[in-house]
Amino acid sequence: MAKKKDSVDNGTEQQKEPEPDFSDPEGFVDDIPDEQLCGDLLRSKPRETDGVESVIVVDGLPLVDRDRLDKLKTVIRKIFSRFGVIVTEHYAQENASENAPNGNTTYMFIEYSNAANALEAVKQADGYKVDKSHTLCVNLFTDFEKYESIPDEWHTPEPQPYKDPGNLLYYIMEPDAYDQYAIVTLGIPKAGPGGHTVQANDIQVWCNAIPEPTEVLDRVGGTETIVKWSPLGTYMATFHAKGVALWGGEKFEKINRFAHPNAEFIDFSPCERYIITFSPKAERQYDNPEVLIIWEVRTGAKKRTFSEIWKSPWPILKWSQDDKYFARLGPDMLSIYETPSFRLLENKSLKIPGVRDFSWSPSDNILAYWVAEEKDVPARVTLLEIPSRVEIRAKNLFSVADCRMHWQKSGDFLCVKVDRYTKFRKEKHETKYSGMYYNFEIFHMREKQVPVDSTEIKEPISAFAWEPIGHKFAIIHGEQNNISVSFYGVKKGDTPTLLKKFEKRRFNTLFWSPQGQFIILACLKSAEGPIEFIDTSDFTIMNTLMPELTTDIEWDPTGRYVVAGVSAWTGKVSDTGYSLLTFQGKSLRKERVDRFGNLFWRPRPPCLLPHAKIKEIKKNLKNYSPQFETKDRMRHSKATMEILRKREEIINAWKEYREKKQEQYAAQKKQRLLLRNHIETDELDSDKASMQEEIIEVLVKEEIQDTE
Amino acid sequence: MKPIMLQGHTRAITQIKYNREGDLLFSAAKDHSPSIWYSSNGERLGTFDGHNGAVWCIDVDWKSTRAITGGGDMTVRLWDVETGACLNEVERSSSVRTCLYSYSGNMVVYSTDYAMSQPCEIFYADVRDPSQLGESVTRATVADSDKVTSILWGPLDETIVTGHSSGKLTQWDLKTNKIVTTVEDHHANINDMQPSKDGTMFITASKDKTSKLFDTETLECLKTYKTERPVNSATISPNLDHVVLGGGQEAMDVTRTATSQGKFESRFFDLVYEEEFARVKGHFGPINSLAFHPGGRHVRVLGWFSLQTPRRNFRSSYEMT
Repeated sequence: MAKKKDSVDNGTEQQKEPEPDFSDPEGFVDDIPDEQLCGDLLRSKPRETDGVESVIVVDGLPLVDRDRLDKLKTVIRKIFSRFGVIVTEHYAQENASENAPNGNTTYMFIEYSNAANALEAVKQADGYKVDKSHTLCVNLFTDFEKYESIPDEWHTPEPQPYKDPGNLLYYIMEPDAYDQYAIVTLGIPKAGPGGHTVQANDIQVWCNAIPEPTEVLDRVGGTETIVKWSPLGTYMATFHAKGVALWGGEKFEKINRFAHPNAEFIDFSPCERYIITFSPKAERQYDNPEVLIIWEVRTGAKKRTFSEIWKSPWPILKWSQDDKYFARLGPDMLSIYETPSFRLLENKSLKIPGVRDFSWSPSDNILAYWVAEEKDVPARVTLLEIPSRVEIRAKNLFSVADCRMHWQKSGDFLCVKVDRYTKFRKEKHETKYSGMYYNFEIFHMREKQVPVDSTEIKEPISAFAWEPIGHKFAIIHGEQNNISVSFYGVKKGDTPTLLKKFEKRRFNTLFWSPQGQFIILACLKSAEGPIEFIDTSDFTIMNTLMPELTTDIEWDPTGRYVVAGVSAWTGKVSDTGYSLLTFQGKSLRKERVDRFGNLFWRPRPPCLLPHAKIKEIKKNLKNYSPQFETKDRMRHSKATMEILRKREEIINAWKEYREKKQEQYAAQKKQRLLLRNHIETDELDSDKASMQEEIIEVLVKEEIQDTE
Repeated sequence: MKPIMLQGHTRAITQIKYNREGDLLFSAAKDHSPSIWYSSNGERLGTFDGHNGAVWCIDVDWKSTRAITGGGDMTVRLWDVETGACLNEVERSSSVRTCLYSYSGNMVVYSTDYAMSQPCEIFYADVRDPSQLGESVTRATVADSDKVTSILWGPLDETIVTGHSSGKLTQWDLKTNKIVTTVEDHHANINDMQPSKDGTMFITASKDKTSKLFDTETLECLKTYKTERPVNSATISPNLDHVVLGGGQEAMDVTRTATSQGKFESRFFDLVYEEEFARVKGHFGPINSLAFHPGGRHVRVLGWFSLQTPRRNFRSSYEMT
């Protein structure tokens, strides 16, 4: 028993072992908040707004009879089920009585499975037209709360501190008037997230200094496609997956960014006040896309968006020269908008049946458009003054297949190139023209009544270009293998006169100097295409180059230099780069750049000097030139000195290095001799002892005497 | 300048070497017959017969008594120069890419390719007795797939410099068999390395379109010579401050482009100023190997015709005036 008791005692002793104490010690302060302990649980704690957020209020329903209520319900369900799964729908029945003619009220509630669907429904269905007299008005249920809690007192928002971007126009203050240019070199595409390939291209900005250019900016991976300067050169735009960024100032700091996913095209307004971004991909991705957005450059504010665009070539929106108006083409209409309200001018578009294309004058608020031929109604080119919408001039044209409008840069002339036919026939959807000939209709804008002259050319025209400042235009015309380049002069009240014709040339593109007078004729994207430099004052050919390949030609904004580039965009792997030439075609520098993409000169704002002053300077050029010539000479001799000094440095460093090495080499002579059995081999003829001279006779030429 | 054409090889040349005196020229080609030529008139002295594949490398000892070759048949062979007899051959598990006699002529070094999961290996052998060719004194394995594409002995046969397919240069200490220095100045395949006359410097030829001059002891990059095409071979003049670069577009692209775009000229650069001062035209295909005559009067340039005229080889020697 005692034993048994012992065991029992043991048992109780074990049970008596002190229980772990779970109570807090005295003075314990619970400093762990619930969020830390079970944050995940708390996050899913129901809130008051839950459920309410996914409810929308639809107002403006048509009042229907009870028996047609079901039909209405189906219609409504159809409209709103597009935005998500409808959990409940509730039709309020105010004073519903059996006899009342109205089966419903004008409002109802819809609950979606989540808040995002509700938001989407509000965004898209608000303003939906059920029929002629009923437009839906859709709001979030939570809006009640939002508008209830608007404070009675109005607080003026704090003005944002002004960020000084520095002098954005510093580049035109360069004392020697060197121009800047940006170079884009292509990066190697890499696989990015989501299987997309990401390409980051490098940007370099250089100042075209003499004798060597100086680097202004080097930004690796600075853009995903190219860069674009604004029309006056103030900003540099770069493209990114998320949108477009603008850079400026001395250090190229970020001025602004415009979030527009996959924006591929941009266009600045002529005075740089606004920027348009265009994302063609957006159309396919979202239901209510922002395909085209107009932003204010300085504030970054979204001024207007367009969700659908009528098919027309870029630029879809065209600006008037002073940023006041912009216009776009629609089916049988022309819509003109005004800034800064960004509304349609006079609240309506111009109805112009058959309008095909339009273009603004670069110097006045005049718009030219043309209307295609329709049965017996002739085609018509019209000049319209904006905002008065007064027709300044109209011209009827017959047998027109196509028209192209070319404004001269200073707005003095408008040339309409008219493709005309002698016969045409309809084939299914296409109209085929034959017996083509071509007309130039020249509108003299600066003369009373705007007289029109026309010139006919029988051959197809492949290129047309106005002299930017002056009275000439150049065309490339003719069939393949018989291409000619012709220059025409336009005088007051006179038909254009042929000034010069270069026959049998191989050119496909014209490049006038931005200052006029000089022109470059080139055959781009073709192997060994020639480049010719012509002075059109007397039509002398200043130089002809025959490079292996040229893909781009870019004049600098002053017309002093020109760059001929070979771009890697064309798929070329080797020999990409560019050469810098003078306007006379003298080669100054040749740069090979691996994966060279493009070179863009930074534009300059227009010259502020009055026309007379410019003329005066041109006249007295001889008085000015010695001063620049001495400057050039000094720079040149300085550069030569610099080179000589550098070379001396290099050769001295080299000599020093070699002396050291030769000493070392001489010191190792003993060891070398050991390695080669004590035979001296440092020089070819140092081992005279074992040298054997062999005399070899070689038959150089065999003369066979003719004995016959 | 008067070119001498040496015609005889039926496929592309891979390497050429002058002997110490410069009276003989040793050539290896993708055909199976490495050859010796009289440098004065271009007459072929004879061939080393036995290889069953492309011969990638060739070298001769300073006494012009023995030659070593290595090739795609995975063998390295030792030859008697006078008789053309094969003294020994050793089979390795992949192609023998490089081989070189040491300054003393007692040692050789050769390397094998990284291929078919075989690592790239470097072998050092004492060949005073030809039968020891396979019994390597030491061997080293190169990490990763970064195979050795060219090789050089350092001063006094104490070190080895290897050029790799990644563009890396590595210096090995022979006594400890360890890497001493690694530099990464190039970023593409090193096609060739050739020493200066005294061996204190060497020039590289790389696929990255540049040639560089290095200090053999420190592997410090001294000079860079830039071109627009991959450089296949480069050599330093023994008596003037000149270097000559040869290369051209890869054979694959040549068939698609005009010859004028191939840039097959041999190009002369100033050793010190890194400036190009002359070009010599006359090739219809890329230059595969270049060598200066030890007297400095000739450059030997080896290239090959492109696919339009296969099976013709082209070599010429230019006498510098």
